Amino acid sequence: MTAPILVVGEVQAGHLTSPTLECITVGQHLAAGQAPVIGFVAGSSARSVADEFSHVGVARVVVVTDATLDTALVAATAHAVAAAAERVGADTVLVGGTTFGRELVGRLAIRWNASAASSVTEVRKEGDALHVRRPIFGGRATETRRLDGPRFVLALRPHTFPVPPDAAVPSNIEEVPLPSLPPGLLVARRTALEPTSEGVGPSLGDASIVVSGGRGVRTAENFHLVEELAAALGAAVGASRAVTDAGWRPSSFQVGQTGRSVSPQLYIAVGISGAIQHLVGMLSSRVIVAINSDASAPIFRVADYGIVGDLFQILPALTAEIRRVRGL
Amino acid sequence: MPDFSLSAEQESLRDMARKFARTEMAPHAAECDKAARFPDEIYRKAYELGLMNLNVPTEYGGSGLGVLEQCLIVEELAHACGGMTTSVIANCLALEPIILGGTPEQKERFLTPFCAQYHFASFCLTEPAGGSDAGSLKTRARKDGDHYLLDGEKCFITNAPHASLYTVFATVDPDLRYKGITAFVVPRETEGLTTGKDEEKMGHRASSTSTVRFEGVRVPVVDRLGGEGDGFSIAMRTLDQTRTPIGALATGIAQAALDHAAAYSLKRHSFGKPISEHQAIQIKLANMAQSIHAARLLTWHAAWTIDHGSKGTLESSIAKCFASDAALHVADEAIQTFGGYGYMKEYPVEKLLRDAKLTQIYEGANEIQRTVIARELLRQYA
Amino acid sequence: MEIVVCLKPVPEAETRLRAATDGRALDSEGVKFVLAGYDESALEQALLLKESIAGSRVHAVSYGPGPRTEEVLRAAIALGADLATWVEAPPGTALDPIAAARALAAAITSVPHDLILCGKQAGDDEAGLVPPALGELLSLPEFSSVVDLRWDAGTSRFRFLRSTEEGGERWESSGPCVMGLQQAWNDPRTAKLPNILRSRKATIARRPLEPVPAGPRSESERFELPAPRTGARMIEYKTPAEAAQQLVRLLREEAKVFP
Repeated sequence: MTAPILVVGEVQAGHLTSPTLECITVGQHLAAGQAPVIGFVAGSSARSVADEFSHVGVARVVVVTDATLDTALVAATAHAVAAAAERVGADTVLVGGTTFGRELVGRLAIRWNASAASSVTEVRKEGDALHVRRPIFGGRATETRRLDGPRFVLALRPHTFPVPPDAAVPSNIEEVPLPSLPPGLLVARRTALEPTSEGVGPSLGDASIVVSGGRGVRTAENFHLVEELAAALGAAVGASRAVTDAGWRPSSFQVGQTGRSVSPQLYIAVGISGAIQHLVGMLSSRVIVAINSDASAPIFRVADYGIVGDLFQILPALTAEIRRVRGL
Repeated sequence: MPDFSLSAEQESLRDMARKFARTEMAPHAAECDKAARFPDEIYRKAYELGLMNLNVPTEYGGSGLGVLEQCLIVEELAHACGGMTTSVIANCLALEPIILGGTPEQKERFLTPFCAQYHFASFCLTEPAGGSDAGSLKTRARKDGDHYLLDGEKCFITNAPHASLYTVFATVDPDLRYKGITAFVVPRETEGLTTGKDEEKMGHRASSTSTVRFEGVRVPVVDRLGGEGDGFSIAMRTLDQTRTPIGALATGIAQAALDHAAAYSLKRHSFGKPISEHQAIQIKLANMAQSIHAARLLTWHAAWTIDHGSKGTLESSIAKCFASDAALHVADEAIQTFGGYGYMKEYPVEKLLRDAKLTQIYEGANEIQRTVIARELLRQYA
Repeated sequence: MEIVVCLKPVPEAETRLRAATDGRALDSEGVKFVLAGYDESALEQALLLKESIAGSRVHAVSYGPGPRTEEVLRAAIALGADLATWVEAPPGTALDPIAAARALAAAITSVPHDLILCGKQAGDDEAGLVPPALGELLSLPEFSSVVDLRWDAGTSRFRFLRSTEEGGERWESSGPCVMGLQQAWNDPRTAKLPNILRSRKATIARRPLEPVPAGPRSESERFELPAPRTGARMIEYKTPAEAAQQLVRLLREEAKVFP
């Protein structure tokens, strides 16, 4: 495999996202110095962001600056990516496995006629095939899939790979026009953006630390204890279904089978007993901490660290300790 | 060879009941037990899903299920809460006399409007002075023109405070014993019918039970089921139909007890290992599993026998008697597996023992079941 | 409105997972396959839309082997779907999300469709590739992670919220389009008993799988369960402050997740 690898950049707050940078690491590993890693970024801010690729060793960047792509469907971006991949002769496209990235992979699999996989946590090249590993069943199992070539498009699971070390290279930015889009893709438009809940701090799917509260929190008013711990950690706030069903927090907070799946570095479950419907949404977290008054709660079977105790005493102490060590 | 596999239809009915039991009933079982609360909102959902009038033919708005299908559903419901299950299936018992003894006109008049809405009905046979000795009941029915006047008192009547329809067994002449017993359908609003206070019970506390008093209750002759003196036969044939699902109810309680005990044994440690690795506990669990398996198969067999047109008196008595004894034994062993925790109300197993106990008593106490079994048995040797 | 909803039978949540003897996939022996998770929400949303727009129909479509696929379609009928199409996969077919999308797209092309709803991802492989691949195959817009879908009769457009990492995005679109549902307005309903009995007798249109155009494929070659978690390391403590200090120390020094 000596064809270039194209990394599709996702932009948030004017910068390439961490999942994008992780793709560069994987791209460089796959290319093994035999082929270039090429960046791609689209939208009205593409040009200013493109430079960031060159800070981590990616010299060549294809940009599509058409502002249509700021608010258009992923389908439109898929057209632009497919055209860019053709242009540079890439055989592999990598993207961070966000909502955007997974949609892009599904569309590109057809548009660019490639083998596809999402939520990839390991990737290995062997002859003409790629072997990818990915969690399935909510992290209760993993599968290794063989993807047949010659083209591959992968969404990599966020927070799984390291970001590349700083390595500044001269930047070589090529601007290409947006290919013409089928009219059927222009019937939709984005009308507004709503920030996640009322909370500040990272959103659930994105956060490297998540603190979730469950039935043990007892009332909506008590939930601030969970939020204060999250704030001290710079973590996102989640909840079990018992909490969202009771209306203590909106359903956008729900982690589990019918809510969000998260896989942060650290997941702290507070007053959550650990029904399987909740576990499938968080089991692939790297480290799990459980705080619960019931020593026989199933959550302790999947946790790495457990504290049996009254959360109304433990949480304030934990929040204070974290503030202390972080100098807050 | 007998075929023990369930049809896809039977499995989908069981799945649906299991889902309802786990998502709607189980989360409220402990709370309703503690507060002796009659969870009207859960029963209303059960009605809306078609779980309440399982035995009523579809042409009258019921679910029209055979006894085996009823058993599959009842076992799943009872796994979540025996008391709620008793209240959900009480309509089957109360309406069966109309199904068996009513004319097409009576069925249309009583069952169709009843099933079209969320309603409870109560089966009024047992009296303060006698339950099992049904032949000696004291409630009187005196003919008065084209009416009967009912006087007397019934007790331990499931759902009575909430019922809109009562099937009542009364005697036209106590000297006639069995041959005087006559069945009537009495709507709630009939003057002279009153229900007593909710009884404080050991178990089945999500269900409701009270006395029903009849003081000069005027019942039109056209609301009599069958002829004068047909009541005893209607009552006995009714119980032949409904006894088997009580076996399924007991099996559901027993299965819940084993599920709790086995899961607990895997996580509770003593002497450096999970108690599931101690042979004393393994033997307990194995014995519990055997009892449950036998109870379930006896229940299925009795149901199959009845669904194939037999009265099934012997089979259903064996199933009900065995399954309810098994439930008590299994719940007891589940508590023993939990040790001290099992005796605490904070844990779910002591409720199962209290709920299991009633299955040995109601719809024919197990002493009567054994009398029946012996009678049917000895007939084969005589 | 003609609403097509794509459903995939998946092992019920309580299934004890284990690998098949060849180690390549889940051992499905004795596993109960059900309609679940996001697909259940997608069907619920389809039924809610049907109930709010006069003259609508819900058409359930599923691709897979029997009998599980047929059972999921019967479950959909019991819940209120009007029509059902089963695209039959030969037994033992390894299910690849892209191949599934091709099979579904071929079936959907031949039936009326104003809206195509899917779960945003299946509960087993969690790939989330079918909705976007369907969109591309049918040349339709596609939206994933939809949580609040309304039909605006005045403008004849769908209005909906997508839940993404950055928060919520409000969108509007005319049909036809494809959506990957994350959540319906309501919790999925339970089928009523008489409808379950009726669904057993309903007709399911069977559609043989058309030869798939040669294209890139993917195939599962290994199915693994994580090493059993040994259970939490329990923190012994006398005071809450001591518990907090110990936990923070372990997270920093042992687990190395905390700065």
